[in-house]
Order: sequence, then structure tokens, then C-alpha cells
Amino acid sequence: MTEFNRRQVLMAAAAATAAASLPRLAAAQSREETLRFVHGSVWTALTAGDLTGSRASLPLSANVYDRLVTYGRKEAPGGGWEFDFTVIEPELCESYSVSDDGLTLTFKLDPAAKWHDGTPVTAQDVKWSLDRAVSAETMSKSQLASGSITSPDQIAIVDETTVTVTLPQADRLALPNLAMYLAPMINSTLAKSHATEADPWAIEWLRTNTAASGAYTVERMSPDGAQVVLARNEAWTGGPLPGFKRVIVQSVPEASTRATLLQKGDADLCLDFSPTDLEVLEAADGVKVIQTPQPSGFAALIFNTQMAPFDDPKLRKAISMALPYDRIFETAANGQGMKLYDGAWEGEPETGAFPQPMPYAVDIEAAKAMVEEAGHAGLTVPLYYTVAKAGDFDPAAALIQEALAKIGITVEIQKTPDAQYAEIVTAKTAPMLLERSLALLPSPDYFFRIFLNGDSRWNFSSWANPEVGEILPKARYEADEAAYETMTRRLVSLAYEETPMVMLWKPTTKAAMAEGIAGYTMWYHFGPDFRTLDPA
Amino acid sequence: MRAASGSGAALAAVKGVGGRLLSALPALFGVLALTFILMRVLPGDPASFFVSSPTAGEAELAIVRQRMGLDHPLPMQFLYYLRDLATGDLGTAMTTGRPVADDLVERLPASLELTLAGLLLAVAVAVPAGVLAALRPGSVFDHGVRVLCSAGVSLPTFVSGLLLIYVFYYWLGWAPDPTGRLDIFAFPPETVTGFLLIDCLLAGDWETWWSSLSRLILPACTMALFTIAPLARITRGSMLAVLTSDFVRTAEAVGLPRRKVVVTYALRNALIPVVTISGTIFSTMLGANVLVEKVFSWPGVGRYALDALMASDYAPVQGFVLLMATIFVFVNLAVDLLYAVIDPRVSLS
Repeated sequence: MTEFNRRQVLMAAAAATAAASLPRLAAAQSREETLRFVHGSVWTALTAGDLTGSRASLPLSANVYDRLVTYGRKEAPGGGWEFDFTVIEPELCESYSVSDDGLTLTFKLDPAAKWHDGTPVTAQDVKWSLDRAVSAETMSKSQLASGSITSPDQIAIVDETTVTVTLPQADRLALPNLAMYLAPMINSTLAKSHATEADPWAIEWLRTNTAASGAYTVERMSPDGAQVVLARNEAWTGGPLPGFKRVIVQSVPEASTRATLLQKGDADLCLDFSPTDLEVLEAADGVKVIQTPQPSGFAALIFNTQMAPFDDPKLRKAISMALPYDRIFETAANGQGMKLYDGAWEGEPETGAFPQPMPYAVDIEAAKAMVEEAGHAGLTVPLYYTVAKAGDFDPAAALIQEALAKIGITVEIQKTPDAQYAEIVTAKTAPMLLERSLALLPSPDYFFRIFLNGDSRWNFSSWANPEVGEILPKARYEADEAAYETMTRRLVSLAYEETPMVMLWKPTTKAAMAEGIAGYTMWYHFGPDFRTLDPA
Repeated sequence: MRAASGSGAALAAVKGVGGRLLSALPALFGVLALTFILMRVLPGDPASFFVSSPTAGEAELAIVRQRMGLDHPLPMQFLYYLRDLATGDLGTAMTTGRPVADDLVERLPASLELTLAGLLLAVAVAVPAGVLAALRPGSVFDHGVRVLCSAGVSLPTFVSGLLLIYVFYYWLGWAPDPTGRLDIFAFPPETVTGFLLIDCLLAGDWETWWSSLSRLILPACTMALFTIAPLARITRGSMLAVLTSDFVRTAEAVGLPRRKVVVTYALRNALIPVVTISGTIFSTMLGANVLVEKVFSWPGVGRYALDALMASDYAPVQGFVLLMATIFVFVNLAVDLLYAVIDPRVSLS
């Protein structure tokens, strides 16, 4: 690390300026147009996709990088905005088109688009960025593969300002994936000059440096990622210029300290405050809290369907008939979000949206009889969940324990440290889990593909239903909306019949911010997007 | 002749110090091996923790395992670790993506500055308080010190930290926001020692010096509150014992002034256990003030190690334990050297 990088140059420049001018005065002036964002994590990788980057790095990097396209947004129930998965708009590109057969995506570049260093964005840059996404060892590879973009051969330069992506089949997720943070557009000339033989895609260099075109540039970054200062890119062409000139991204590990900073007006935005601070923040002067239900989020009681005793669908069904859903929703979710249990349909649901409320019929006596009939009376079973989600799941687990005791099942609560929990989930050795998660894209077939099919760790229930396995590949490439809906409705009814997991509630994303801030948008990544925010 | 004996004594002292350091090596190796094994025996798979993208599969897991060196058998991993260690390479932290040595070098001064400030504050309060309490045992002052000690030691540091934040930052508005060592709008001075207070002085930047000092006060007080108790109690106890000893009685009997008896004769002898306990407290607080570091967003080594431990990130935890063990060795050495200064009867050899 003897290399003299951009950050060091900037730091030196900053220090020199500081010595020459009056730093305190400059700071006081900029505070008005500065957004201070506090979070519990650190921003360790500036470029999205780094396998060692913190989770918080991904959404944060979307403020610095552009994608070819972006999702639209619409007004959300809670008072803010939410992303609109069905609308895809140009971001770095000027326009795009999809061929009638759905096999070719054509992107027309904006001649005015510039990288942060002032050089124009070229078709070569776009091709290199997408080549990198499908080739380099980053998280992008598997994400783009989920939309049938797997090889550099699919990406072609037509002319100076046109790039096409060719698909083997009309994949519904190909374009939405390109709007995600895992498909960042990178200044290839700059990145390549820092590539090495061992690291041809400059993964190392791009971890602590940027080669981007986005709405913000990285002005300063502390080596541990605890403090990052962003400055607005005045030449940004990807959208309307953001309202804040500077953004400070600061790590404040203690949740109660974050809440105090907000109340005091020293922090302007926080997305990860603790549930216990919610009431205090809602009541505080000068602070507002916006709650938005997560379109594809869920909290559920999940059974391991490949392991005794929950390989018996009758037992799973019996448990779904014995849970105190309302009490769980009121205590564990504080009554916030959306109920996923009071559905009114029979047979097949009206829409194929998922997660949606399931029509679980609560009947303790019948459930008890079913457990006895199936020979599971007197069963003792552990229930695992991670310490990180204990705020929600401590009360939920206690309520489940109490309810299942009534039908003759003893639950042993196993609250487990994060890394250990990750190991158990990957090895699929837990018979029963409480889990809360979300699919990045609110598309029902995508949800099933990730959470209810296949052998990845995210198929918590290890559910392997042959009919689901048959429908999913068809649904993925189905261009006709009505036919797609028929398939997804069938998927939802199968998930109800076989009960690989009992859906409990749909969590909300909670954002606390200074009263005057407008334009808060909940994105698919639930992280902060500083570009849409405006000061009072 | 005198000069020769002087240099001989210096040589003996150096020999003594060198011998002490050498004899610590086996202990350090033991700590090293134990941490290495413990980290791997503890449940938790770092690879599946770090690879958390919904679409990630076995391929990504394998890459991370390989990068962490987990694809080799355990004894080989240990040998590789020792080989890297010999070249000063402590490995790479997955949580920060940087070399562990760099992380530690950067964070250690933050912890040292905080711990030293806390300890100095504690000594400045505890030693006079302990002495005064010992001079008037059973008095109101003595009971007052006892109450202060009990309160300080029974309040967990994160509670007293949050309390101080609430009162001095949120309520009174006297303290700056508890977000680390420096105001985010202030420019950090050029790093020379890593101690912000010293570096600011070297750069002649009084404004930043004041900013970092004002941010140091609350966390240092939090730590001091916790450490005053053992220090004051030890000082009081040891002072009481010394005050009733023969030589103090003799000194008083020959009519030496009270001040000289207490400060020169009694206190100097009573300080030995205080120095011992200070050394232990210093080493312990350096690594164990995780809660203070967390509450005040202090970028210290304790928080770093705890975060790494929660993520089963082996390299930083191993590096941290090694660093702490080394510091412990040096602090013990310093304590022994201090004995020699306080009590001429003690010598290193």
C-alpha cells in the first residue's frame, strides 16, 4: 500500500486548505446544506459487489455510482415515497429499448454524461462494466445471472453511443437487475490503470477508490469506513441535482446514541435506530419518522421440510392452526407493517402477489387432534433465531412457545449469535427458525426462486416441491402478464397447502429524519438514497 | 571508579529488562496458539457470515474461504499464520478489508489516549481521596469516598456513559456530540504519534486540540468513574497499614512535621500496591472498555476486536489478543521499573 492514491491526495489537499483558511467558518457555512447520516455499520467498500464489503456499503455506493437504468418511484402509504418495480427509467443512459421478442436490450448513451474526472462516458466503459459484473469474483455475477446475463459475449458495442445486451430467453429480471446497485457503471480507463495481473478487474483498488459518474463524489473517507464525506457532483446527468451539497456518512455504533443525535438535531437521517427508540423519536420535536411496508419483506416461522419431524406436512399445518397471530403482530411487530395471516381466500388467491396474507384458520382443538393423530404428541423441538433480530423475535418466540405447549409441543428457544446462526442456516441443521428477510425484487417468481426453491441457504425450509420446480423456470421467461399471474397464483396456493413456512407479518422500513427533509424514498435495498432528499 | 560502577549498573538494568522481555516470549506464544485454536473451535462460520447476498452460493463461499485461508487443514493454517507473523503480517480483516496491522496501529492510539486520560483522571481523584480517607478513618469524608466508590463500581460503564451523554450533551448542551475523537467538520492534524492531543499541539492547531479535548472529557470521565473505586480503596487500605507501622510512629515520635511524615514517608511506601493495581487496570481497560468505545463511537481497538469476534473474523481477534498480551508484558515491566523508583530496595535483577 505504498501507492499514492486519490484519497491521500485529497486528504493532503484538505489539510493544506485547512492551514491556509479559516476552517471553522467554512464548516459553519456548509452545515446548512450538509446532510448528516448516522448508521450502526461502516462503509468499507466504495464500489458495490465487493465480497468482503459490509452490507451497508451496497446501498451507499449507489449514491456515488450510476446504473444504466433506475426504478421509478411513487408515493408510499407512510408519507414518503417508495420505488416502483414496474417502471424503469434511464439513469446513465439517455434512453433504452427492449426488442419485441424481449431478447435484446438496447441502451443509448447520453453524450453529455461524464465521469467524475471529467472524461466522457463511452460505450467501451459500459461494456467493460458489464463484462466485469459477469466475470469478476464479485456479488454482481450471481445477481446478473439471476436475470440470464452470464457472459461478456452477450454485451456488444454497436456504435460510439450504443450498447446492446442479448438474452438467451426473454428473462423478466434482466432489465430490473441492471437497475440494481450490483450493476454499477465504472470508468474503465481509470479502473484499468489500477488493475494488476492478479486482479484484472481492479477489485482491490475499487474497494477504497471510486471510478464513477454518480450524483456524489467521495471527498474524504477514513480508512476504517467509519466516516465518509460526499460532495455533490455538479455535473451529474443521471437525474435532477440532489438537494444537499454535502453528505456525511458517519458510523455511530450505539443505537441510543444515534437516537440522541437525531433528537438534538446533530444528525439528519437515521434508518437503523432501535425499536425502543421509535416512540421517543416520534414524539421528539423536529424529528419525523416515516414507516413504509417492505413490498417483498416477510417475517415467518420456518420449518425444515427435509428433516424429521417437520417433513410431515400435517404437523406443519397443525402449527399454522395454533399460532396467536394477532398477539404476535401486536407485540413483535408493534402492530406496524402488514398482516400476512388474515387472508380470506380459499383454494387459490385472487392475485399472484407474494408475500400476501394467507388464510390460516386458527383452531386449537383441531390442531391438537392433528398433532396426536400424526403421532407427534409430546414432541420437543428447538426454535432458532439470530441475536441480531432478537428485538422482534424474543416476544414472537415466547408467544409461539406458549401456543404450541397447548397442542402438546414443547419449544426450546435457541437465540444464537450471528456467525453461528449463519453456519446453522447454511448447513440446514435447524428444524425450526424464526426469520425475517426480503427479496430485493418484489417479483413473486423471484421470491419463490430464492426463498422456496433450490438448495441455497436462503431456501430456509429446504422445500423441494416438484410442481414449484416445474412452474418457476416457465414463469421466469413468461412475457404474457395473464399467463404469469396464473402461474404465480398456483405457486402461492402450493405454499399455503404445504406450509413450508407460516407467514406472520410484513415488516416496515423505518426512517427517522429531521422534520424539514422532503423526498425520502424507500428503495429495494432499504438503504439511504441521498439523491432524492431535499432540505427544508 | 564511580563512572565505571554507574555504567555497570546501567548494563545490569538493560540486561534485566532484556531478560524479562525474553522470558515473556513463551507466554506470548502460548497466548497465540490458544487464541488461534479457540477462534476455530468456537461455533460460527465466517464465510457464510460474510457472503450474504441472496443469490450467493457455494462458489462465493469457496472464494471467501480461500481468501481467509480456511481451505487448508488446521495445522497448516497455524504454520502459515506463524510464517506471516514472522514477517510482521497479521493477516487481513474481512470486516474492514484492510491489513490487521494497519487497523490496529491506527486504532491503538485512540484507545491509549482514552485509557491514559481516564486513568490519569482516576489517579488524580482516587489517590488524594484515598489518602484523606485513611488519615481520618470513620469520618464523614471516609464514608463519602466509600459511597462514591460503590456507586462508581456498581454502575456499568455504558449506563454511566449514557447518563453523562444525557446530562451534558442532550440536556445541558455543554459537551459536543458523542461521535468519536474529532468533530466531523474539523480537519485532522497530520498523524505523528496518533494521539490527537499531541498531534494538534505539534501542528500548532489549537482549535482542533480543543475539539479533541472536549470530546475526550466525557468518555474519560466514564472510565475514571469505574476505575476510581479500586484505586481509592487500595490507596486507603495501604495508607492505613503504613500509617500504623513502626517507622511512621518513630518519625512522628522524633517530631518530624506531619506533612513530611505523610507525604514523604507514608505515601511513598503506600504507593507500591497502587502502582501495581494501576498497571493491571490500565492493561485491562485498554482492551475491555468496549462499552465506553461503543457508546461514544470511539474508534478504539476494543470495539474493533468485538465486532470482529461477532463476525467470527479470525485475523483481527488474533492480532488484538497478541497486541494486548504484548502490551501487558510491557506494562508489567514498566510497573516493575516504577517499583525501583519508588522503593530503592527493589531492583530488577
